[in-house]
Amino acid sequence: MGSDQVTSHGAQPIKSTVPLTEETEARLSDVGEAEILVGIPSYNNVDTIGHVVRAVSAGLAKYFPGRRAVLVNSDGGSSDGTSEAVSQAIVDYGALLISDQQSPLQKIITPYHGIPGKGSAFRTIFEIARRVNAKACAVVDSDLRSITPEWIELLLRPILEEGYDYVAPYYLRHKYDGTITNSIVYPLTRTLYGQRIRQPIGGDFGFSGQLTEHYLDQHVWESDVARFGIDIWMTTEAVASGARVCQSFLGAKIHNPKDPSSDLSAMLMQVLGAVFALMESHHGVWSGVQGSNAVKLYGFQYEVGVEPINVNVDRMIALFRQGLADLAPIWEQALGKETVAKLSPLSSASISDFRISDDLWVRVVYEAALAYHQRRMPREHLIKSLTPLYLGRTATFVLETQGLTTMEAEKRIEQLCGVFESSKPYLVERWTPEPR
Amino acid sequence: MMDFIQTALLAPLEQLGRQILAVLPNVLAAIIIMGLGFMVAWGLGHGVERLLRVVRLDHLCDRLGVNAALARGGVKSDPSYIIGRVAYWAVVLFAVIAGLGALNLQPINQFSQSLLAYIPHVLIAGVILMAGYLLSNFMSQGVLIAAVNAGLPPARLIASLSRWGVQLFALAMALEELGIAASVVVVGFGITFGGVVFATCLAFGLGAKDLAKDYLERTLSNRGNDRTPDDLRHL
Repeated sequence: MGSDQVTSHGAQPIKSTVPLTEETEARLSDVGEAEILVGIPSYNNVDTIGHVVRAVSAGLAKYFPGRRAVLVNSDGGSSDGTSEAVSQAIVDYGALLISDQQSPLQKIITPYHGIPGKGSAFRTIFEIARRVNAKACAVVDSDLRSITPEWIELLLRPILEEGYDYVAPYYLRHKYDGTITNSIVYPLTRTLYGQRIRQPIGGDFGFSGQLTEHYLDQHVWESDVARFGIDIWMTTEAVASGARVCQSFLGAKIHNPKDPSSDLSAMLMQVLGAVFALMESHHGVWSGVQGSNAVKLYGFQYEVGVEPINVNVDRMIALFRQGLADLAPIWEQALGKETVAKLSPLSSASISDFRISDDLWVRVVYEAALAYHQRRMPREHLIKSLTPLYLGRTATFVLETQGLTTMEAEKRIEQLCGVFESSKPYLVERWTPEPR
Repeated sequence: MMDFIQTALLAPLEQLGRQILAVLPNVLAAIIIMGLGFMVAWGLGHGVERLLRVVRLDHLCDRLGVNAALARGGVKSDPSYIIGRVAYWAVVLFAVIAGLGALNLQPINQFSQSLLAYIPHVLIAGVILMAGYLLSNFMSQGVLIAAVNAGLPPARLIASLSRWGVQLFALAMALEELGIAASVVVVGFGITFGGVVFATCLAFGLGAKDLAKDYLERTLSNRGNDRTPDDLRHL
């Protein structure tokens, strides 16, 4: 990240922009400065957060023994004893063969202010990172079961020693795990910004102190970014601001299942809403980008067995067909009659012949982005109405990759990315800088 | 004879002449007011229509589904033209009322005053109907999308019911505002709305009691997870 693009730490006094509690302010005075900061946002994660804190503590002691580090738990008002679990988490360094722990880990446990959500939790972590003058930061989810001390090294060392500004995670996942990422977010983000970041909404990231300043200076903290969409926002801001970006191989990601009440259309609304909104604010960046470049991947890659996933293709196709029958007028308004006409034959296709081709899917995603930008209909209705289409495309992917290994399915995703990239001129030509 | 002519013919004619002369300025004033009113109405009507075309109201209404609704109702004119005509006739109405008021005739004055006092109610009722219409379209679209995403077969029926429910509610409010059989409207709406809710409850409870039982069990005992149709993790 160029120094002209961000506000660097200088001699000027650092002003607090995010309110912190008196206890946190007092704790900050005790801690002083720290080179490394690891943040953990939480809300009622007493079952898992102890393991995460121990992994972070061990990682810092094992891989960065000589560096002053602070762990920040930014909590959304947990009532299950999450904060106590953080403060009481103790690591048996002897058992981990860690003997030269030169700098004891400092912990700051703080509530966050603002709109409830992961974004507001991150904002408080960023503010504390600014106050302690951290050079390298990492954030990890509090519901992780597969985090190891190595994750901390992989997320922080590229920042501290290789001059990177942003480290995105690279997980081993089942071919049907992360289907929104695989069919929309990864191909679209890669096509728009020209960087092949495989898990742009992974949830565990490393970033530099300079990038923290840049994040804090953005006026997004009262928007939906504060509630959800913080992951894609961080990745996109990093890429769009010209930050040096790399990836780290973290192995399998196993975490507690998400809240079952958060349904698929709400997930689409959160993720696609953030991606489309960022397209509007970074039009000047992505409109000139052609093709994409590989992003450096750190870490030792290995194969590991991943949890099997049951998929009900019949149900997905049935929901798609109901969407085609009932939502066709809405789709025509949003995506255009021509696009819907190409989907129509699928209403009577047999399951073995059911396919939403790459070309058609890319057209659907681009038209949806244009419809969002041009406000062809209420934005929430627009994105939620895409749910059956997304399920149809997911069914297509499952049918096409049924007998394939994860690596072979990955090639199929690369093929889709190629279509996204070759069709980008269609999007650029139709995107007017100002909404009509 | 001359006295007879004087008293029986000329005096009434003189009286009539005096009355005409007394009323004539008022009549002239009324004609001038109405004439000016028609001219202002013509100018304002066209001005409003052109302004609305410049700000692309028709395009907005097209996106909101107003144009489609007008077409369904047999109205071929676009919203800019209709609002221009409404502005024209509103000014004409005011001009006519003001012109009649200038005649200074007691019954006409009373009629004008009561008409003027009623106009705000008409405007409010119009706003209620328009807002109700737009809200019903928005709500039914949201309900349709949610019902399809939930895989409910009668999605379109549910969406239509929500649309008609909101429009019925808006109509009842508008009629109450206009004072048209206010008590009948309130009672009628209450009975209809209550009946619909009761019928829905009965239909759900009797016709889909297994579904209701399943839903309540899943909600109250939080065992929704073991009924998920597949294990797909989308994010």
